[in-house]
Amino acid sequence: MSENMYIARSSHKDALERGEYGGAVTSILQCALETGKIDGVVTVKAKNDNRYTGVPVLITTPEQLLETAGSLHCSTPNISRFVKEYLDGASTMKLAVVGKPCDIRAIIELQKRERIDVDNVILIGLNCTGTMSPTTAKRMFTEEFEVDPDSIVKEDIDEGMLTIVLKDGTKKSRDLTELEERGYGRRENCRRCDINIPRMADLACGKWGAEDEEKKSTFIEICSEKGKNLIDETIKKGFIEVKEPREESLQRRKKKDEAEVERAEKWKTRDFKIFQELNQSERLNYWISEFNKCIKCYGCRDACPICHCKECILEAKRGFVDKGEVPPDIMFPLTRLSHVADSCVNCGQCQDVCPMELPLSLLCSFLNRELTEIFQYTPGIDIEERPPLTTTTEGELQIQDTFLDISSLTEK
Amino acid sequence: MYEPKIIGFLCNWCSYAAADLAGTSRIQYPSNMRAVRVMCSSRIDPEHVLRAFLNGIDGVLIAGCHPGDCHYLSGNYKTKRKYLLLRKMLKQFGINPERVRLEWCSSAEGGKFAQVVTEMTEDLRKLGPAKIGEGD
Repeated sequence: MSENMYIARSSHKDALERGEYGGAVTSILQCALETGKIDGVVTVKAKNDNRYTGVPVLITTPEQLLETAGSLHCSTPNISRFVKEYLDGASTMKLAVVGKPCDIRAIIELQKRERIDVDNVILIGLNCTGTMSPTTAKRMFTEEFEVDPDSIVKEDIDEGMLTIVLKDGTKKSRDLTELEERGYGRRENCRRCDINIPRMADLACGKWGAEDEEKKSTFIEICSEKGKNLIDETIKKGFIEVKEPREESLQRRKKKDEAEVERAEKWKTRDFKIFQELNQSERLNYWISEFNKCIKCYGCRDACPICHCKECILEAKRGFVDKGEVPPDIMFPLTRLSHVADSCVNCGQCQDVCPMELPLSLLCSFLNRELTEIFQYTPGIDIEERPPLTTTTEGELQIQDTFLDISSLTEK
Repeated sequence: MYEPKIIGFLCNWCSYAAADLAGTSRIQYPSNMRAVRVMCSSRIDPEHVLRAFLNGIDGVLIAGCHPGDCHYLSGNYKTKRKYLLLRKMLKQFGINPERVRLEWCSSAEGGKFAQVVTEMTEDLRKLGPAKIGEGD
């Protein structure tokens, strides 16, 4: 396995300084841009240097890339929709897309639905242990850390601790679970997320496994042929220096991943408990009262990476949902749910954008987990696997018993 | 006697013809089912069924072609998968999943169709009117 893993460091001074951990990702992208392997990079940039408003940007020159180096933990940009809506799904240009595991999974789901070109996109995944919504983060920094939110130059979430670094160099650390118990900390969906290393991307880059290095470095795991070519080229052109990771580093990386998965499981059990605790009548009443808050802003539909139809059935002109009716017919949330539940990547965008704060992501990821048990399908991992509700397997079509026993279905 | 209301989503190519055959063959079955013809059973998404329940229906029958006989080759396999999602959603929204039935009826099975509707009506009579919050 270890020939697929590198500890990398940029050989470029500026990238070393500005990058989060040795600037390797920045240098890989610079190399790809300079050699013409790609036409542009989609990444996230702090708008007006404000860490709380990260927006997706398209970068086309290596110099501009430096401005986007470093990570932002307090903004939730919708990268997959950006590529699909504003860059024509990468149909006209070759792109490298940098994103968190959920962004990468969303892009893979859109590629399955032929909304983003498969061949034109190189996916560069970044390890992620969660992001925070900007408002919660600001409130937390003011109330809990007692610092001015604008004086923060860096955040980090690792080993259950949230660490911030201020302009004057002081560091402050707090226990994340304790903060989250009180309603601060990461977004709900991030707490439940158990995919920390984006192995579904072409390259998975991050800090885990490179902490022991003397100089700040990035741990890179190569996950595909495309990723391997890109790395080989970057090394050959001298943009990054690499070495092999030691066995202890690999062990440490694995342990950290396992610890995060365990933490996510705890949150899942806790969050999903409300569904089990409510009895059946309370359950329906709960959801109806929630759905009655809906103001039909179509925000969830517009933010969801899985909602890919060119003509949405929920538009008034299609005749299923009446024009101007607020709260909308129950068909509105239910249609959304049944259309996306099988492929939900738990990105949390629906809940982020909802002005009425409906627990949409919670419901969707809960149903998705139940479906995953039945279909053994995890969304956004393998591009060859089709979404389970719109596919049939070869095996199914060859079933000799045409009087397929329906009782076997109800047991599940 | 309590008469349950059933909505039947019938596939144009098989089950609707089966219902037709039951009629022309003068096979008696309860009149509790209201038929809705759909071009394929896989047209029925979970939200249609849930909406029917919220509007006061007591049971839903989804009937399509036998596996392998679908007019669109694989529609009924998708119905089967959607049916699994439907059952999960019904449970989540507090409706007894036993009120929904998926059946395969070919156009030659008028007898089977009549039997399914009879059975379903009997079952629903026992369950009583669909109330929010039953089935715990």
